[in-house]
Amino acid sequence: MDTIRVMEIKKSVFDDNDQRAAMLRNELQEQGVFLLNLMSSPGSGKTTCLAKTVESLHGSMGIGVMEADIDSDVDARTIGEVGAKVIQLHTGGMCHLDASMTRQGVEGLGTKDLDLIVLENIGNLICPADFDTGASKNAMILSVPEGDDKPLKYPGMFSMADVLIISKMDTLGVFDFDLDAVKERVRALNPNISIFPLSAKTGEGMEAWTQWLQKEVAEWKKGATHA
Amino acid sequence: MHELGVVMNIVENVVDFAQANNVTQIETLVLQIGELSAVIPAYVESCYPAAVDGTMMQDTKLQIEVLPANALCRSCEEVFGLMAANGVCPHCGGKDCETISGKELMIKEIVAC
Repeated sequence: MDTIRVMEIKKSVFDDNDQRAAMLRNELQEQGVFLLNLMSSPGSGKTTCLAKTVESLHGSMGIGVMEADIDSDVDARTIGEVGAKVIQLHTGGMCHLDASMTRQGVEGLGTKDLDLIVLENIGNLICPADFDTGASKNAMILSVPEGDDKPLKYPGMFSMADVLIISKMDTLGVFDFDLDAVKERVRALNPNISIFPLSAKTGEGMEAWTQWLQKEVAEWKKGATHA
Repeated sequence: MHELGVVMNIVENVVDFAQANNVTQIETLVLQIGELSAVIPAYVESCYPAAVDGTMMQDTKLQIEVLPANALCRSCEEVFGLMAANGVCPHCGGKDCETISGKELMIKEIVAC
């Protein structure tokens, strides 16, 4: 009879992805490219907000956008029209992007002449929070119609995001959305998060958000000279 | 339900390990899954047969150990089980706590023959 051996592996399954993500992050920093991972639920106004952001930063920096969707290219067309270089990633049913898929996207897009790449992650508030994509910073959008209880229901994503955009502020009068309660709930999970309430439709609050993004991109590029 | 992608990644890892260590047959694979992990043991079990189909692990049994979610209370420095306590320290009632375990997803070991 063959001998039976117990072989210890002790390997964290997320390690692989974390290592790939760290590698991608380093390479992008060496090239002076800032990667923003943008997450939210479907219908939060991600594409509209992104289109307005690209419009306002167009000319000051080279912007690339990776649109991740299960299917279709409607978002890519919208973003392409406002002056960004766009690639559409079809994930074929996967509910989140990991570092390998992000790398494929970055390579497909090409980093030449780009300072900022935005990864529009799949509309989902759950598992994108658990997979490091290699992004420089993680941003999430919560729209007013979704309700102020979302930080209580999806604490994972609110805990890991560096920045929270509260979108569709122009609809505040229609919905029972307590902005102060949201800020308090989010800061209880994540004291260092930056929060920007805005409306891409009216332009309210857009400037503070784009300034934050410009500052982060500039700081990231400073790091590139040390790398 | 993203377990299938995760389990396929696990199977790939284990097959690589087996080949690197000249293991030709694996009787059992042991995974450790934390209570706060992004994967659900029952779903891992249900998609496991599809993930191992056509690989050297086709007949490998799957065993899952669930690791508890523990937290350290920053007020009284006691460790307590997070799931039962619902985020509130049962020793002092403090809410300021640090999660110290429960998010793991580990390939613990294989039983090779």
